[in-house]
Amino acid sequence: MPDDGAPLTESAGGTRDVAEVSVHELTELRDLLFGAERRQLDELRRRLDTAELTPEELAEKLPQAIVQRSARDRQLGIALAPTVENAIRESVRRNPREMATAIFPVLGPAIRKAIAETMSGLVNTINRAIEHSLSPQGIRWRIESWRTGVPFAQIVMRHALVYRVEQVLLVHAETGLLLAHVPDGSLGDADLVSSMLTAIGDFVNDSFEPKKTGELRAFAAGDLTVLVETGPRANIAAVVRGTPPDSLPAKLQSTIETIHLEWCDPLTAFNGDAAAFTTTRPLLEDCVETVLATDTRAKSAGLRRFAWVIPVLLLLAGGLAWRTARANRQWSAALARLDTEPGIAVIRSERSDGKWRITGMRDPLAVNPSVLMASRGVDTNEVVAHWEPYVSTEPALLLARARHVLAPPGGITLSLKGDTLVASGRAPAFWIIRADGLAPALAGVGAVDLSHVTPGLPASMEPIAAEIESQRTLFAAGSDALDQRAVSSIATVAAKLRELVKAADANRYDLTIQVVGRADPTGTEKDNLALSRRRAAVVRDRLVSLGINASRLSIDASGSGDPIPADASAERARLNRSASFTIRAQPSLNANVAERQR
Amino acid sequence: MIQKKVCMVGVFATGKTSLVQRFIHSLFSTKYHSTVGVKIDRKQVQVGTEQVNLLLWDIEGRTAEQEIPDSYLKGAHAVLYVADGTRRETFEQLFSLRDHVRSAAGDVPSIVALNKYDLKNQWVVAAADGKKLIDGGFHMLTTSAKTGEGVEDAFRWVAKTTLSGATQTVQQPDHHGN
Repeated sequence: MPDDGAPLTESAGGTRDVAEVSVHELTELRDLLFGAERRQLDELRRRLDTAELTPEELAEKLPQAIVQRSARDRQLGIALAPTVENAIRESVRRNPREMATAIFPVLGPAIRKAIAETMSGLVNTINRAIEHSLSPQGIRWRIESWRTGVPFAQIVMRHALVYRVEQVLLVHAETGLLLAHVPDGSLGDADLVSSMLTAIGDFVNDSFEPKKTGELRAFAAGDLTVLVETGPRANIAAVVRGTPPDSLPAKLQSTIETIHLEWCDPLTAFNGDAAAFTTTRPLLEDCVETVLATDTRAKSAGLRRFAWVIPVLLLLAGGLAWRTARANRQWSAALARLDTEPGIAVIRSERSDGKWRITGMRDPLAVNPSVLMASRGVDTNEVVAHWEPYVSTEPALLLARARHVLAPPGGITLSLKGDTLVASGRAPAFWIIRADGLAPALAGVGAVDLSHVTPGLPASMEPIAAEIESQRTLFAAGSDALDQRAVSSIATVAAKLRELVKAADANRYDLTIQVVGRADPTGTEKDNLALSRRRAAVVRDRLVSLGINASRLSIDASGSGDPIPADASAERARLNRSASFTIRAQPSLNANVAERQR
Repeated sequence: MIQKKVCMVGVFATGKTSLVQRFIHSLFSTKYHSTVGVKIDRKQVQVGTEQVNLLLWDIEGRTAEQEIPDSYLKGAHAVLYVADGTRRETFEQLFSLRDHVRSAAGDVPSIVALNKYDLKNQWVVAAADGKKLIDGGFHMLTTSAKTGEGVEDAFRWVAKTTLSGATQTVQQPDHHGN
């Protein structure tokens, strides 16, 4: 059916006016018959053409449309988000007070919660620092702090960073039933724990004015801490060994928020079947972690690497102590030795500035103290010594000084009898004269005894005199008769005497020979003296008969009182049944004067 | 596996804890009763092919004047009331107890264990009283902590009844995501 006022048909030309009248009538008729329907049709057609809603229509439909679309998907939210954001921004720009007033009820608790959490973390850290201050671990950390120079609080923090999230439980908030749990099999009764955790949370909430303080967020047992982050429909609980970091609650909170967002429907519809929540496990596993403070590990490794230092240091310290003790012992021994040493008098000794210091007096002829100390093991580089020179009258030093000053020949022995210096042996006459003059001048020497010194002979005389003096004219026991060997011996002596006399004349020495008769110890000493005198006389007479001038010869009798020594008694007796010869030679008076002048 | 929260409530000294003690898996000691006021135990029941894990909230027995904390009751899928057949007041208090439970947990399946059936000759609860319970919407069983009679039946009823509710819920389409 046509939908406008156009003529239905065109009539032939001759009947045009009649036709126009008919059309008009028809139109009127149509309006009468279909007017209302026609207007409705026109409206419908207009709506189809424009496809637009009037504000009134939109106001009618909008709430319902929003509810329906939101239930279906998130497109509406996505579409509105920029507009809403712009609207909020514009609103805040125009009148900030209005927005602040609107969100104040939300903002206040949020700020309080954030501050409370920060303070809780701070107090926790302080508590931990105080707690560790006096524990053995704390003392170790103090030592570490002292050794490394790092502040103690920093050391505590470094160690406190070590933690391990061992288990994570996702718990249905209302029923306390377990929705998911990681890692698998780590907690056999996870469902019971989950419920009990909820019960304990409820218990705390009921007991301690929960509306003011908030939910149970954490509790600790030993080094285990259980952190709980709550949501409207589910809670997440993490079992942490060690000190949980401040970031962990935030991570748990973020996880529980994601779960609420992604598993909103299963959470709402939960009626005991946790199958839908197995897919939350990856999210929960993200929370399971072991965190070791790497610097702590590196530090321990570093310490382990230098662990040998401690025994070495101990050894060094022990060695040093032993060395010091030994040095002290050696020093004390050396001092004691110095004290007993002739010619050395220690006045003071001390240890200062790492050196031994010693002060005293020392006779120049005493031993060198440094050599003596070195011989006792003292390191003389460590010794600072100051010795004042002095003259010691101790016998050893006195003799040493006498030897130094008198320079006795090899045949002379010096000794002390009280303050008398005694010399014995044979020495050249000039030495005897000099010793006689010098010795009394020596400090500590009261007198000089040179009576035991036999004047020595010039070199041309000495061998001959020595040979004569070594000769013995032996006799049979109790006899003064000369046998053949005795006669031969006397002849030898006579020949040597002639040589000696010649040499003595050449050296202008006065020469005499004493014949000493001896006897063995058998018999009485009186008889022995008589016998020995007879033996001496027999020998003298024989020498005279052989041409020796009697004026040079004298005799002496020793009896058995001054025997010639020998090891065996028989040999001693044989040797002492004899006569021997002692040469006495001294420069003639003229020669003595010449010697002195020289 | 389906889990269900079951609250066990009863007046003080009705034998609630000893009634279930040897039928359940227990992790926590009874001292939780005197500290936290509740002890959680587990009872697994096979219903057809389905295994149901009943988490039993054994709530501390209260005197008539004390109320059970709402927080322990919320979300319960079923409530197991325990009364002492030899003490009439424990039976009388069941109705007021249920009113309180309903306000916290809603109208969930309820079963009454009339305990100490082994002392039947001392019972002060008559058959008419049992009928009163059933008329009041309770499921009722006589039990004995001493002999263990009726206890398994009680758990089986709870599991079966709550499971039928769960099945309806689980069948709802899952709409999360796009």
